[in-house]
Amino acid sequence: MANVTLSQGSNSFADDAYQPPRRSPLRWVVLFILTLLLLLTLFPFFLAVINAIKTAADYAVGGPLSLPSSIDFGSLQKFWNVSDFSRKLVNSAIISITVAVFGVLISLFNAYAIGIGRIKGSRIFLVIFLLGIMVPQESIVYPLYYMAKATGLYDTQLAVIIIFAVIQSAFGTYLLSSVLRSFPKEIIEAAEMDGANRWQVLWQVVVPVLRPSLMVVGTFFFIWTWNEFLIPLVMLVSNNNQTVAVAMGLTRGQNMSDPTFSAAASMLGIAPTLLFFLVFQRTLTRGVVVGAVK
Amino acid sequence: MRKSILAMAMGAMVLTTGMVHAQEKTFNIWWFEDADSAEGIAWSHALDELRANHPDVTVNFEQKTFAQLQASGSMILNSSQAPDLLEYNKGNATAGLVSSQGLLLPLDDAFTAQGWDKILNEGDVVLSKYDEMGIYGSGHIWGISVYGEYVSAFYNVDMFDKAGLTVPTTMDELVADFEAFKVQGIIPLALGGADTSGQHVLASLAYTKADDAWIQNYQGLRAPLDTAPFLYAAQTMVDWVANGYVSKDSTGMNDDDAALQFMSGKAPIYISGTWNLGKFNSNIKDFKWGQFLVPTPKYSVGSTGNLWVVPKGSKNVELAEEFISLTLSPKYQTEMANAGGVAIAADPATITNPVGKNAASVFKEISDKNGLGFYPDWPVPGFYDVLIQKVAGLLQGTSTPDEFVAQLKQVYDDAQENQ
Repeated sequence: MANVTLSQGSNSFADDAYQPPRRSPLRWVVLFILTLLLLLTLFPFFLAVINAIKTAADYAVGGPLSLPSSIDFGSLQKFWNVSDFSRKLVNSAIISITVAVFGVLISLFNAYAIGIGRIKGSRIFLVIFLLGIMVPQESIVYPLYYMAKATGLYDTQLAVIIIFAVIQSAFGTYLLSSVLRSFPKEIIEAAEMDGANRWQVLWQVVVPVLRPSLMVVGTFFFIWTWNEFLIPLVMLVSNNNQTVAVAMGLTRGQNMSDPTFSAAASMLGIAPTLLFFLVFQRTLTRGVVVGAVK
Repeated sequence: MRKSILAMAMGAMVLTTGMVHAQEKTFNIWWFEDADSAEGIAWSHALDELRANHPDVTVNFEQKTFAQLQASGSMILNSSQAPDLLEYNKGNATAGLVSSQGLLLPLDDAFTAQGWDKILNEGDVVLSKYDEMGIYGSGHIWGISVYGEYVSAFYNVDMFDKAGLTVPTTMDELVADFEAFKVQGIIPLALGGADTSGQHVLASLAYTKADDAWIQNYQGLRAPLDTAPFLYAAQTMVDWVANGYVSKDSTGMNDDDAALQFMSGKAPIYISGTWNLGKFNSNIKDFKWGQFLVPTPKYSVGSTGNLWVVPKGSKNVELAEEFISLTLSPKYQTEMANAGGVAIAADPATITNPVGKNAASVFKEISDKNGLGFYPDWPVPGFYDVLIQKVAGLLQGTSTPDEFVAQLKQVYDDAQENQ
């Protein structure tokens, strides 16, 4: 999803900036292809919506592609009640927002040291962080479980928050330090000459310039954490601590699945991220563009 | 900066809410059967009765998911978060594994003290016992199953009547019915060739050629694979595809879509497990439907259901045992059957729902003759995916029946040798 939106964002920017001299037929081809891609992207959402508002009996007769013969909110209601969805929304929001904030903070400090501080062996540090991104979560689940148990954090949201703040900041560090590497030295030198210490340089010089990128990174952290499944599934035992993504597992039984129920769950599950994305869309495109222009 | 203070406050809140725990006596119980399923309905009513019997106890039920217990069951059982009683998936890789790790309490004493031995017969407790290696069939009793499941053919009674056909009692009659439907331009069998029902059809056919020794060797991983039953099954399935008894699309079809063909009245027969009963019961309105067993001499694909297990850290063992007794009692067994479930210990005379009545009597028939052949993927870890993949290949024609059984034999014999 990220890639598509990024490229769309820069396209619209390009359109604003350049007035093409004349309309070539090629534009229509591009429009056609983009429309096709758009429909392709929207198709799963469409499927989720039409099946979420179908009755199971209706689905049994018509299948997944038929339009619903009547609008029925039964599946949505059932999923909301069975999963205690309002509670799950609060849990997911607490975890994702906290991870986004802490993840960005950690990334910022790391990147400041690596990108501007130019600490010794910064390349090695970057490689280590990159490894952190590449390690599959399945392989670290057991160590994390034992650590969480040893510290008494098993089945607490704090465990998930710490884990993801660290995992996400690996990517954040990598991204932000490459941005900071090309940060104009003159500005920092000027600030230092005015007597600013390192802390002041970070907060009063670097952060204001970096703000759009930080917002983008934070937004991604939020969405990624929101969609995480395996580690929350393993770490959060009690229903009261679980997240939206884990609750969606309710729709799949041992041998059976209920398609209309699953559709309702996926619709409710993606709605919050979709909303969040729409709200922060401008921030995202702006941040990406800032990076691109520089 | 303001943001980080906010975040810290949130973190602190999370910590404290996680730590608040009730001090009074609490009975924690989990299961993952769907709330609408026959088991879910009967068990929640049984839990109401338990609540009424013990007003001083706070009963804390959590609806779990199969995925969660499958992914982290042993981690949960190995922590203080484990409940007092929970439903756990039966089999060597699941209940057997956690019993061998010492994470459960044995129920041998309760088995006789609570009188469960008078309700359940020998066949009903085969999957309750696991030895110290976690292999089922012998050892202590670690769990109790209170319902059954089996694979059978669901059939559309109206379509059978219209075509003037009767329920087949032999393989030849089954094929004759297939042929009669085909002549009328109806593809008779809905098959999820890329899903579980594909391997269940394969096993049902294989079990028509299986005797006691073969089943025990196969499920117990006791000898290299004797491929004759599988060769017959594979050849039969290939013939069915070639003769047009199965749609060509079904090679890539999953169970939901195959069940849909049956539910929408397009295909008159669908071979799958009793877990479909609830769904068919509530969603099929336009025609009458029934069940018949794939004609086998003794063994059917099926088993007792998932187990009630008591974690080693359970603080309310008596309450856990009392609840198991409740779910085994005629009252809730009958209620489960009336909701379309497969009761293990109900009196058929008291069951009013014809679906549940039939299921209970068929299961009793299989279990009384000790004819539960279990599922084909059980003996070898990861065999489920191997079977899915190989059956799909067989139906698509990328492997011949001979190649197919050779591939199965290779995987099976490897596991048999290295166990």
